[in-house]
Amino acid sequence: MAASGEIRTATMGFRAKPNSMARQTNIIRIAIVLIIAVSWEALSRSGLVFKDVVPSLFSIGAAIGKLLTLPAFYANLQVTAWEIFLSLAIGSSLGIFVGILLGSNRFMSFAYEHYVYYLAPTPRIIFFPVMIMWFGVGIASKIALGALSCFFTVALSTAGGMREIDKVLIRVGKSFRATPMQMGLKIYLPAMRVPVLNGIRLGFGTATVTCLLAETKLSNQGLGYMIMQIYSRFDMPSLYGLLIIVFVVAGIGNLILGKVTGTSA
Amino acid sequence: MTEASSAATVASATQPQLVIDNVFKQFGEGPGAVIAVDNVSFDVKPGEFVSVIGPSGCGKSTLFNIIGGLLDEYSGNVMIERERIAGPHKAVGMVFQEESTFPWRSVMDNVAFPLELQGVAKSERLDRAAHFIDLVGLKGFEKRMPFELSGGMRQRVSIARTLVSGPQILLMDEPFAALDEQTRLLLGDKITQIQQELHQTTLLITHNLTEAVQLSDRIVVMTYRPGKVKRVVNIDLPRPRTSDVVSSDAFGHYVAEIWADLREEASRGMQDSENMQRGRARRG
Repeated sequence: MAASGEIRTATMGFRAKPNSMARQTNIIRIAIVLIIAVSWEALSRSGLVFKDVVPSLFSIGAAIGKLLTLPAFYANLQVTAWEIFLSLAIGSSLGIFVGILLGSNRFMSFAYEHYVYYLAPTPRIIFFPVMIMWFGVGIASKIALGALSCFFTVALSTAGGMREIDKVLIRVGKSFRATPMQMGLKIYLPAMRVPVLNGIRLGFGTATVTCLLAETKLSNQGLGYMIMQIYSRFDMPSLYGLLIIVFVVAGIGNLILGKVTGTSA
Repeated sequence: MTEASSAATVASATQPQLVIDNVFKQFGEGPGAVIAVDNVSFDVKPGEFVSVIGPSGCGKSTLFNIIGGLLDEYSGNVMIERERIAGPHKAVGMVFQEESTFPWRSVMDNVAFPLELQGVAKSERLDRAAHFIDLVGLKGFEKRMPFELSGGMRQRVSIARTLVSGPQILLMDEPFAALDEQTRLLLGDKITQIQQELHQTTLLITHNLTEAVQLSDRIVVMTYRPGKVKRVVNIDLPRPRTSDVVSSDAFGHYVAEIWADLREEASRGMQDSENMQRGRARRG
């Protein structure tokens, strides 16, 4: 049955994988990183390309070290993290609310779900000018845009999850004369757990992208702003260094969210 | 026991516990309407095991949902203790045909679910659930999740979950439909044993003839669309029974007798679905 299958993959995840296979995968992963690093370094030293475009790994390493000692880096990191957190909190709550409405009410779904589907893939950044007019150039406009982008993801996956609940489980609850409150807490919520949490994880991704993108467009703080500042100085080692840091931070954020929600990637 | 209460017990033993009185249910309106259940009447006495048997499409599951209180719009009466039911009745415990364990709950937590709804204290909840897990033969599997169990074991979890709520009437809709024949016979033994231990009033909906004869005191045979009561057969096989009963002569007689009725209905059902297929093929 579909529902039990989903739970199974979610709870077993990577643990089920045999050890030797995990080791092999790790070797391949490390090998790929090494190959890219060596090729990069070779390209940098060959003199084939402009030295500033492909700086040596050592200079990037030094730049990362320097960035990590800058108080300004931590201030910007904090701003961006806060933006993403609030975007996710606002967008997910609204998304779950609307998703439950769409998923449980045939009329609502018939009337509005098309719009959610059509709007979901549009690039949210085009709303940025509007958000700036409404909320100013500070963090509020980034949070609004980030919340907007993760709202769609969460709403659609919640609505889908609501509809995919095994109907017999609802009949079981009714046959035991569960109150509406008990139905919600003990049947609907746990049955929808996996799609909703997956939606929130995907929402985290879109919120991160949108917040950073918005910061690079118009802002006075945040990691996106810092990237554009470094770019305007044409400080390539620091630029690459900061990009790597952003990748790592986003990865860690995703990992933590995965652990908290119990859904393994 | 005082005289008055023993007299009451005797009286209630002869009174039917569940009365199905002229129940009629139609789906849709106008020429496309389908009569699923057509003026069905029978009753079930306390401690009795009654089966309703009929071919697919005779409205058995509709009847199951009506008696369980999950389907409100019907005419006629379903009476428990002489009162017409309104919604799921607390005296009725349902076991569904489909896979119905909660995949996110362990065996123990699945079985304890109805007690949780009633607000029973945790320690008592676990004690009572453990008793019924043992009764269906799943001792040692309390901490397992449903996906770790076989289909037959999951169905036993569902049965234990319903029994733990202490229903006066156990209502089951083809609980063994998805299982293989061997598992079905052995689970039948389990059901017979439980029924004898608890004196559980049981109404079983099934399309399986051997299962019905193996388990029942009485069998209600239904016709194919519209679903009417064709005949009621008393099964006078000795109790306690085990699955060995299927090899006895008397068992064979009952099966042959009911099959004669059922065959006519089943072939009408088959004809109907073949005609429908043909019609579809022509249109397509």
